[in-house]
Amino acid sequence: MSKEKDLTIESQVMAKVLSGKVKMKPRWYFVLGSLLSITGLAGLITGATFLVNIMLFMLRRHGRGGQFRLQYMLDSFPLWIPILAVGLLILGIIVLKKYDFTYKNNFKLIVFGLITSVFLSAYLLDLSGLNDLWSTRGPMRGLYQQGRGKMLKPYFFDVR
Amino acid sequence: MENIEVVTDEELVLQVIQNNKELYAKLIERYQGKLMRYASYLLDDPDKATDVVQEAFIKAYINLKSFDTTKKFSSWLYRIAHNEAINIVEKTKKVIALDPESELDGGINVEDDFVKQELITHAQECLNQMAIMYREPLSLYYLDDKSYDEISDILRIPIGTVGTRINRAKSLMKKLCLKKKI
Repeated sequence: MSKEKDLTIESQVMAKVLSGKVKMKPRWYFVLGSLLSITGLAGLITGATFLVNIMLFMLRRHGRGGQFRLQYMLDSFPLWIPILAVGLLILGIIVLKKYDFTYKNNFKLIVFGLITSVFLSAYLLDLSGLNDLWSTRGPMRGLYQQGRGKMLKPYFFDVR
Repeated sequence: MENIEVVTDEELVLQVIQNNKELYAKLIERYQGKLMRYASYLLDDPDKATDVVQEAFIKAYINLKSFDTTKKFSSWLYRIAHNEAINIVEKTKKVIALDPESELDGGINVEDDFVKQELITHAQECLNQMAIMYREPLSLYYLDDKSYDEISDILRIPIGTVGTRINRAKSLMKKLCLKKKI
């Protein structure tokens, strides 16, 4: 019975292979897939780093002496930035899982390393002063000034 | 013919890729029995196991150019069969998964020979009662003679985890087989 099954499997598969019903995907398909995967991963990590960087900049800018009403922060802070940053990080981790080195080593440590690197890079980027430059000139000025109007209002008009 | 018998799987793959499609039959011949056994341990349904193995060979052929010939072909092929089998297990979810934590007893000293003998004799009965997480590495290690390294590549889990799961599976198996005998 087992030999009959074996013959069936072999004959059915080879019939499809030899008739051309089943074809090998070309090598460029896999090369392109790898390139897109690497580029995508790099893009996701870069995007997450940039957004975390903006988040740190906005928190720093409005946190003089730490005096900040929670309600104003929740009302005015563009929450889509941290949400998108987390989303990009999660996608990056999912893409990362497809690589062999992630299961051969401690995956939790790799994820921890990735998240730490993103925050550290974002922090260093913020320290570099580039954020102050980008917030006053250039195409990203609008992004940096999100919520700024609402944040200034309680600062000037709030009576304590 | 004699020449083909000594050619490694990886060399055969290279020849198949270089437009020698007929040689793929040789690869099927080498692995269909092993994959059928492996799929049977996972699925306990000969027809589904046949479908899984057939589908695995077809997918392997379609993606043959993605295979890295510096690695082991058998691990790659088993991985494809594993994915196919898991898809069916997920769909049917017939397995009664025992709570592994409640069954564990770290104090049991399980002999390897006993495990292998019990597996060979009562393979399907013992394995069916086990969660797939333990069934797979156990059957790959004892019935397919795969190394920890190969099992790690097939299941995409760290080598340490392979060892842990095999040890737990051995403990589970002893309890299950003892229960059956009583």
